[in-house]
Amino acid sequence: MTPLERRCRRLLRAYPAWYRRERSGEMLDTLLEASPPGRRWPSFRDTRALVLGSLRVRGRTWLLSMMWVAAGAVITGYIFYATTPNHISADVIGTGFIGFSAGPAAVQITAVLALVAWLALPLPVLIAGFIRLRGWRPANWLPAAAWAGAWIAGAALLLLARAWGNSAGNAVSWGELAICVAWLVLGAVMTWILAGPPRRSYAPDPTSGASHEASRWPAGVGFLRFDGHSPSGVLPRAEGCS
Amino acid sequence: MREPTYFVLASLLDGPLHGYAIIQRTEQLSGGRIKLATGTLYTALDRLTAEGHVELVREEIVNGRARRSYGLTPPGAGALRAEAKRMAEAARLVTDHGRRLKAGSSARKASPA
Repeated sequence: MTPLERRCRRLLRAYPAWYRRERSGEMLDTLLEASPPGRRWPSFRDTRALVLGSLRVRGRTWLLSMMWVAAGAVITGYIFYATTPNHISADVIGTGFIGFSAGPAAVQITAVLALVAWLALPLPVLIAGFIRLRGWRPANWLPAAAWAGAWIAGAALLLLARAWGNSAGNAVSWGELAICVAWLVLGAVMTWILAGPPRRSYAPDPTSGASHEASRWPAGVGFLRFDGHSPSGVLPRAEGCS
Repeated sequence: MREPTYFVLASLLDGPLHGYAIIQRTEQLSGGRIKLATGTLYTALDRLTAEGHVELVREEIVNGRARRSYGLTPPGAGALRAEAKRMAEAARLVTDHGRRLKAGSSARKASPA
């Protein structure tokens, strides 16, 4: 395997597993064919197109969820930063709210923006998730419950960070590190819950008249597939192929 | 229909092509203007297959990897032709305008005489 091939393979991991199972072979073939000989790294254009393509495949619900997780992680980091001895301030200890007066202005602004995003994102995510679930159908109770659980866990994590940041006033403790790692784990869990194909990508065009009933997907893309249907029609059907 | 989509469909007019061949053909047809990145191409192919405009026609193994060729479906060819007609009509607005002006000015010159 050439270095270019190895790097292209790694880049293709941006796509979810269900998509890679179907497409990664031919995409790798195209990437390598399109690269001039002697290249060791995929081009910037290709990298950007693959990242954008993978975001499109993963869908809006996943993207918004990840933004929420990232915002939570930033706030957590700020809480721990603001409560170290050299930054500790009365508004952090006294009021029960997070004080945004520690550190340089840019850090404070980032933290405030992260908090605003963290508080504002649940609504659009709820709407996107509702669309993705096609209106909470009974068959979807398990992924819906897992998803709701992940959100509650995220809120709990921030409260925990808040409490911990106040009580453990020393520089960086293992507990703080564990809470930071927990955000990464939460992101991974949410990614796993939302691992199935989003609804929009396989909605057949009613005007095309093409039939999409045959499923090309293995039955279990994780047991928490976020819809009650077998996805079909995203990718060409295999019938009639050698 | 966006321009890259139009050229992707047009590249399949002569018959089915695989991924890289589509990239080459679109670049050639557009006079080098449209250089599709691999990720962009497959996003477009996903959408076009979901819409029924393009379909998988052949799958072969090259260098141990699957190579798939895609072809235009009848609805896809219809959509492409409709788009070409729309653009030709839009272009005629401008190209005929010059001709109309010329015809108009010569008519004006002719009329006082």
